Amino acid sequence: MAGVTTKVVCAWARRAGPPLPRHAGASLRTHWTPAGKSRSRREAAEAEAEVPVFQYLGQRARRVDRIFTWGFSYTGALGVPTFVLPTAYGPAAGRKPRAIQPVPYRLELDAKISSAACGYGFTLLSSQTKDITKVWGMGLNKDSQLGFHRSQKNKRKGYEYVLEPSPVPLPLDRPQETRVLQVACGRAHSLILTDSEGVLSMGNNSYGQCGRAVVSDEVYSESHKIHRMQDFDGRVLQVVCGQDHSLFLTDKGEVYSCGWGADGQTGLGHYNITSSPTKVGGAIAGVNIVQVATYGDFCLAVSADGDLFGWGNSEYLQLAAVTEATQVNVPTHLPFSGIGKIKQAACGGTGSAVLNDEGHVFVWGYGILGKGPKLMETAHPERIPPSLFGLSDFSPDVRVSRICCGLSQFAALTNKGELFVWGKNIRGCLGIGRLEDQYFPWRVTMPGEPVQVACGVDHMVTLARSFI
Amino acid sequence: MGWSRLHGLFAVYKPPGLNWKHLRDTVELQLLKGLNSEKQFTPQEHIRFLLAPTEGSERKELTLMATNVPVLSEHPLVRGPNYTSVKVGVGHRLDVKSSGVLVLGVGHGNKLLTDIYNAHLTKDYTVRGLLGKATDDFTDEGRLIEKTTYDHVTQEKLSRILAVIQGSHQKALVMHSNLDLKTQEAYEMAVKGLIRPMCKTPMLITGIRCLQFAPPEFLLEIQCMHETQQLLRRVVHEIGLELKSAAVCTQVRRTRDGVFTLEDALLRTQWDMHSIQKSIQKVTPRVEAELKKYQTVGPAQRDLVGHPAS
Repeated sequence: MAGVTTKVVCAWARRAGPPLPRHAGASLRTHWTPAGKSRSRREAAEAEAEVPVFQYLGQRARRVDRIFTWGFSYTGALGVPTFVLPTAYGPAAGRKPRAIQPVPYRLELDAKISSAACGYGFTLLSSQTKDITKVWGMGLNKDSQLGFHRSQKNKRKGYEYVLEPSPVPLPLDRPQETRVLQVACGRAHSLILTDSEGVLSMGNNSYGQCGRAVVSDEVYSESHKIHRMQDFDGRVLQVVCGQDHSLFLTDKGEVYSCGWGADGQTGLGHYNITSSPTKVGGAIAGVNIVQVATYGDFCLAVSADGDLFGWGNSEYLQLAAVTEATQVNVPTHLPFSGIGKIKQAACGGTGSAVLNDEGHVFVWGYGILGKGPKLMETAHPERIPPSLFGLSDFSPDVRVSRICCGLSQFAALTNKGELFVWGKNIRGCLGIGRLEDQYFPWRVTMPGEPVQVACGVDHMVTLARSFI
Repeated sequence: MGWSRLHGLFAVYKPPGLNWKHLRDTVELQLLKGLNSEKQFTPQEHIRFLLAPTEGSERKELTLMATNVPVLSEHPLVRGPNYTSVKVGVGHRLDVKSSGVLVLGVGHGNKLLTDIYNAHLTKDYTVRGLLGKATDDFTDEGRLIEKTTYDHVTQEKLSRILAVIQGSHQKALVMHSNLDLKTQEAYEMAVKGLIRPMCKTPMLITGIRCLQFAPPEFLLEIQCMHETQQLLRRVVHEIGLELKSAAVCTQVRRTRDGVFTLEDALLRTQWDMHSIQKSIQKVTPRVEAELKKYQTVGPAQRDLVGHPAS
């Protein structure tokens, strides 16, 4: 094509119809003739060179962000109101409500979401913007875990179920300067981590999981109360919510906890409720912790050296490798051998998973762990064969880069941009198109490359980017 | 003698531009030439008593004279060639524009062709694509539909698209094999990567990767089953669409068909009886070993397999 100047036409200026040569006088034919023998090569090449070139994407085009949700929709946690309430107008007119969305469904939201979290029937999405609206919530709101959303019909009441991603009003001192870094959701409470105004908590506080004193007979529904916690020693880097407790990780490598402690999940040495964030000691005192994980009543912490510490409920063999007790209320070191240096940990209700620095996933606990129907419980971590994540002679460099746990399912993201899920398929939360349980890692295909995944009890949310 | 060694499977290299039927006819003709040239005709003579005019008599009289006449019943012009047809069958076909390994069966080897088909083995192709234009039959020589820019296409984007294609086809592989995924056998086969459909399915790509990328050209290696070459060209076209550009396929070349690779394929100069016999001898043990793995299973579904092929 050297030496021939062609006009580049943008795709939106395209007109329908076959391309015609610019200079009609050059060829005597006025209508299209089949290419090949009836046209000389030179004529064909000349005609081809005169066809305009369309540009569908510029050289520096950015990839578009997309959000996909799937699972049980009647709580509104998927953020699509037409799944719950049928409408008579609009693009989804006449569409029947669907209880379960079995495959990824795209959520339209005009914001760049950086963090997503799934609770027990509700979802929080947050963006790192400096605008007033930083967090959106949808799903169950009976304990104001999504904040207060004023009802349209009755201005004195709030919504019990939020069906669409609605902005969560946050009581920030400097709302146009503070950024929200991360959100976390538990059973009926949620935590929002900001960069300069501490941690905000909302929702149920019957066990002190919101970090404030328990008020007896407090009504949590339609509550405007959002508590702010700023008195941590250092900056908070990560917040995670368990079923009824909360964990905070600071930049000094220390872990704080509050909430229900009957299984020892607060790790403070007792089995009582804690209503304000307290530093956790035990085996992690003095250790530089870089990541904490919890979702049920069991907690895991990863140190900078790749060591693993656990505390909380051990009825499902989570800590059976070191102790026979079913409740452990002090962080204990888990000296597993053969799993290498741990990079990330994730806990579900009954099973746990860790990811080491070579990209291998190890699972232990009880339930569907991902190694077939025979392995239902184990006290020692077992490696999931990497060939199940796509490793083969054709692609020998496939590694798992991120893992996430829901209550009874697991999700793994590989470095090739594929999402694998396995576990109990509660109300279609795995997103594989079937409603049966999945006993080994299975791909979830969606029109986008998944970047982050959040697992709940019966639904999942994925933040993805378009391919190109 | 030559005919007894001419039973089995062998592979030829089909050049582009040659119809597979013409290739099969050419191979058959070459085999016939070879077979018919084996036995050299040695003219024999025998004694026959023929009436011939006696010498030295005044009256015209015929008497029986012993004469040496050639034996005509064995003459090739009387009997015709020894062999007039050889059964040559073709395995997985290649269309006119593509090239590569083409498996042929001769004599009793034609029965093995059905067994090879029922084994549902994968095939390797190298496919060359050209970015920037889209045509109606997805090749270079078709009618031009559109020209697009391709300066935004990088190797990383292409690998991402290929990974997605491979992932969705891997999923389809397991779905079409009709296994009960809740069983331990299904899990063990998935770990070893042995799950494959053993019945007729749409085209399934078991592996795809980019070997070279020099815009506007790129070279892909595709490992697939139940494919046709036009479907592979369509895959190149769809890759172009996914990249928000357009692509046509310039070359489809089969590098492996089951157990037959490029090294086993005979070139055009080697399409004669001796090379074919040697090739059959060389490949037969490999083919038998491969077919033995699938004989116990047969064309039925794979839910009875107790031990993996090892």
